[in-house]
Amino acid sequence: MQLVRRGKAAAFEVVYERHASAAFSLAYRIVGTRNGAEDVSQEAFLSIWRSGARYDRGRGSVRSWVLGIVHHRAIDHLRRATVHDKRRASDEGMEERFEARERTDTEVARRDEAQTVRRAMETLPADQCQVIELAYFGGFTHTEIADMLETPVGTVKGRMRLGLKKLRDRLGEGAVMR
Amino acid sequence: MQTSGPGHERWQDATAAYVLGALDEAERDAFEEHLAGCPACREEVDELLPAAHALPMSVDPVEPPPSLKARIMAEVEREASLLAAAGPEADRPPAAPERRRRFTLRVPRLVPSVVAAALLVIGIAIGVGAAALRGEPERTVTAQVSGAPGASLQVELSGHEGRLTARGLPAPPRGRVYQVWLKREGHAAEPTAAMFLPSRDGAATASVPGSMEGVDQVMITDEPDGGSPQPTGRLLAVADLS
Repeated sequence: MQLVRRGKAAAFEVVYERHASAAFSLAYRIVGTRNGAEDVSQEAFLSIWRSGARYDRGRGSVRSWVLGIVHHRAIDHLRRATVHDKRRASDEGMEERFEARERTDTEVARRDEAQTVRRAMETLPADQCQVIELAYFGGFTHTEIADMLETPVGTVKGRMRLGLKKLRDRLGEGAVMR
Repeated sequence: MQTSGPGHERWQDATAAYVLGALDEAERDAFEEHLAGCPACREEVDELLPAAHALPMSVDPVEPPPSLKARIMAEVEREASLLAAAGPEADRPPAAPERRRRFTLRVPRLVPSVVAAALLVIGIAIGVGAAALRGEPERTVTAQVSGAPGASLQVELSGHEGRLTARGLPAPPRGRVYQVWLKREGHAAEPTAAMFLPSRDGAATASVPGSMEGVDQVMITDEPDGGSPQPTGRLLAVADLS
């Protein structure tokens, strides 16, 4: 399925409007700076545009697909980044400027959604939640996580699997995932 | 329960690491190869994916700055117009929103006098290279960039838009973006919705949809994020079209 026909700037703009905020939020959560999140979002959306926005409907919603691309780019960014890139603590000052905006209904809905998922995550055993967060938001591979926690790789993978299965069950047949 | 493919014992516990993006590149490729031939692993990946897809929903919403959209859309519109010119099946980019040209404002003659001394005159180049691609006459004008040694900025003109390409630009002051203005003889400079930020290496592109007919100068100033109805910032560059 082709969501944005190659060359259709207006159709692309709709995709951007709909998903930019979730995309930016995820990128920011992973890379930790506004500049980094901007770079990642820009790369991700331009790659979506340039690909002619092909996505496989069987693989889930458009949002999941967009966020999958953002996640991939953000982890790449993180793995490329060197220590001196931990610059710009002053980044944080800009925060209020954008957060002070009036909240729309969609934003409120998303905060509710965030709460639901967070609550489901909180019910997981701590060691399962930890490996999932280190992998998904931290960008660490399972072997890095095993080293970090001084735990066998097999155990780490097992925790990821159990944790994800539980999370899925708690979220109730994917109702939140749209 | 699905049947499993070859090498299943080696891979069966990697499903969760895979959907979380926690395999390294080589492992991921190998796992995907296995996945293609292993219905059991595919089933488990499908089962775990909804949980992985829910994870990004748990983050606190942070709004992207408007300049991000301006930057992305400028590039998208630029590429869309190239595509439109490249093939009959491709469509033209959408017409410029009306608000771009609604303002008429008086701009003091800040162009020649204020910055003339600092201007780094690079000269004017007439390009024909892009004309073949676009299928219509095109002109490239090199702008005079002030206070930024080594920077260059070109404006390409066609019947339906002006396109800016720059190299070596300094970043605008914090919280500001570069905005493009159109100046016609005897009229105030018109603001456009074309705003951009150079990338880290100083490269930037922006496009100004609409005919450039009658435009004498294209100007670039730095303005607060989101743009201004009249120029407030330092003049970065001027391209003389007349």
